[in-house]
Amino acid sequence: MLCVLSAAGVCSSTSAPGRPSLLGCRSPEKETFSCWWEPGSDGGLPTEYRLFYMRENLRGVHECPDYVSAGKNSCFFDKEHTSIWAEYNLRVVATNALGNASSDFLINDVMKYVKPYPPVNVTVLANSSTPSAYLQIQWKSPPNVDVKSGWVTANYELRIKQNGKEWKNVETGAQNVLNLYSVDPGASYMVQVRCKLDHGNWSEWSNTTFVKIPKHHQIENRFWILVFASALIPLLATICILVLKRKLLLSLKQWFLPPVPGPLIRGVDVQLFKSGRPEDVVNALIGNQNFPPMMPWTDQVEEYLLVSDSDARQLTDPYKCHKKKENFIIELHLESKIQHRESTPGQNAWEKAEESKDETGDLESSDVSQSESNLSNMEPTKLLIEEQGCPSTEKAALTNVIQPLANTTYVDFQQRENFWDNSPTQAEYSRVKEVNGETILILNNENILPGSDVQEQEVNGEVKAPDDYSRVKEVNSDLVLLQKHDSADSYCKKKEDHYTEWISQRPTTPHEGEHSKGLCSEMVESGYVDSVPGFSIK
Amino acid sequence: MKAASICTNGQTGCHFISLANLFDRVIQHSARMHGISNDLHSEFELYFLPSKNQIGRVSHNCHTSTILTPNGKENAQRIAREELTEVILKLLVAWRDPLWHFHQDMAQHHEFNNFSSNKSLEMSDMVHELRKGVQKVVEKMQMLGIISPSIGNLGTPEALLTSDSAEWRLMNDYDLLYCFRRDSNKIQHYLKILKCRIVPEHGC
Repeated sequence: MLCVLSAAGVCSSTSAPGRPSLLGCRSPEKETFSCWWEPGSDGGLPTEYRLFYMRENLRGVHECPDYVSAGKNSCFFDKEHTSIWAEYNLRVVATNALGNASSDFLINDVMKYVKPYPPVNVTVLANSSTPSAYLQIQWKSPPNVDVKSGWVTANYELRIKQNGKEWKNVETGAQNVLNLYSVDPGASYMVQVRCKLDHGNWSEWSNTTFVKIPKHHQIENRFWILVFASALIPLLATICILVLKRKLLLSLKQWFLPPVPGPLIRGVDVQLFKSGRPEDVVNALIGNQNFPPMMPWTDQVEEYLLVSDSDARQLTDPYKCHKKKENFIIELHLESKIQHRESTPGQNAWEKAEESKDETGDLESSDVSQSESNLSNMEPTKLLIEEQGCPSTEKAALTNVIQPLANTTYVDFQQRENFWDNSPTQAEYSRVKEVNGETILILNNENILPGSDVQEQEVNGEVKAPDDYSRVKEVNSDLVLLQKHDSADSYCKKKEDHYTEWISQRPTTPHEGEHSKGLCSEMVESGYVDSVPGFSIK
Repeated sequence: MKAASICTNGQTGCHFISLANLFDRVIQHSARMHGISNDLHSEFELYFLPSKNQIGRVSHNCHTSTILTPNGKENAQRIAREELTEVILKLLVAWRDPLWHFHQDMAQHHEFNNFSSNKSLEMSDMVHELRKGVQKVVEKMQMLGIISPSIGNLGTPEALLTSDSAEWRLMNDYDLLYCFRRDSNKIQHYLKILKCRIVPEHGC
């Protein structure tokens, strides 16, 4: 019918109803469910809505059993009419006098629409006992949810918000209580809880519960302040009395902080150390000890170092002078070694340091012990530098033939053959004074001070020695200038011309003859200084 | 509830597990199995949307529809323990072969990603393991005298499979996943009901 518009604007047309639409369903506890629809236009006539459904394993079309319990435009399926694992096919039909209209089919599986009500009885208690305040939050599962029979398992989630901050979510699993410890006293909080049944949907958040944590600690703080104050006053009084009566203070100081006793070594005069003469130190400390007997190296190639304590040394004899210089150098070196030993925490440390960094630990420690025995035979006065009378010749510095003395012990500084094949490390070494680009300056007679840094340097020097070879640039009496080049991996591998080894304290003659058995022939021929401290086997 | 040791032969080092503990384990297992089946079904729905306009078609033709299962909480609580246990075992047995073949199909078709393929394998294994677990629970219950020994013959799956051996081959993959998702949910719920009926003092 047409709608005739009158001045009053009353439209009096009617038509068949518009199509209603099914909004959705919900099962709050997995035992019942309800569905809602939205009516379309009613066409101006009283319209009746009916819901029909079909179910899996159920023959025929059925009508909604309850239109009332779930509110307007709803259908409630109670327990007898609910089949959890069955599919429902629903449709709503709107009928009025002029016709009817049907909604779309809604095929649902009740499991998909499980959504519980929020938890109830959310109680929040602010427990402000020592040591810190915390919140005790409890709640109950929503009504009608049967957790007891195991039919559903409820999982909860809680969220808490401090005034002015963001919500913080906490999953609590299946438990109904939570103690929250990270709270600030005096702050206000809002708490909400929600739940979920098995794999279903989350419920809405429960009503907000407000809580304010009391500032209980203020009173406690005041109490503690009082306690501290009462303890401080006698303390201050005591201090004042002590300051005023100095004598009392001193005697107290004596009692509380007794003086630390100085070091005491039997047989050693502490004043001797203060004089600063190394020979005194050495004699004082070493002179009382007994050293194990010396075992000379019995080797094919043996070179000996002449260590003598003879007073009547002719300085003009170049050979002797040279020897003297050698002796001096050796002695100095040994002495420095001794000093290093003394400066280290103990013999073990030194030896360990040697052994750990050097595979030929035996050699090193035995060297040291030998050097010690050498020194014990020496008189301290011989350590004076007497190089004035010795003509400094380059050659002299390079030659080193040593003859064994009958009444002195000797030290074999040559590296053993087998040792030679391994890593050609040094038994002796000099201290590098200065590295200038390609040139390395080595000082032989520098008084090496005892100290850990020297030890470390020397140890490092030992480690580095085989890797780094330099070419002898110039040999002076005291100085050996080395030109540093790129290092070779090992002795014999690279066939380069630029081989040199670290100059020992006694630089050797350019050619070494047989003793360089372990050496490559090229190296020997190219006339470089090798690492063995100065032995030429003729 | 008196608890007895599982180790009947007096083996040393045999751990004692209570019935409640056994139940918890199989329930956890079934929950996980249902979770995986749910995931796989959702993935399938994304990629292979079945035709929705099936007005008359309500049933998915699950091959387990011949097994009578309680359709709600009251029914599950009302039927006898032995019957409920039997239903669980029947369901588990009925799904062993179809899931195995489903996994084989998935592995061959390379359009499925590895994630889905791994899940199908896991699902297939789990139904097998769960059946063995429920078998253990049944044995323990029988030993404790909780249920009658009459359902012992369910241990032989051959007795059950002969009746519906070929029906599951008619299902397509989507239907198979839908049916298994539902059945795994049933298994999970029945196990929980059974536990709280038999050992209610432990977390019910």
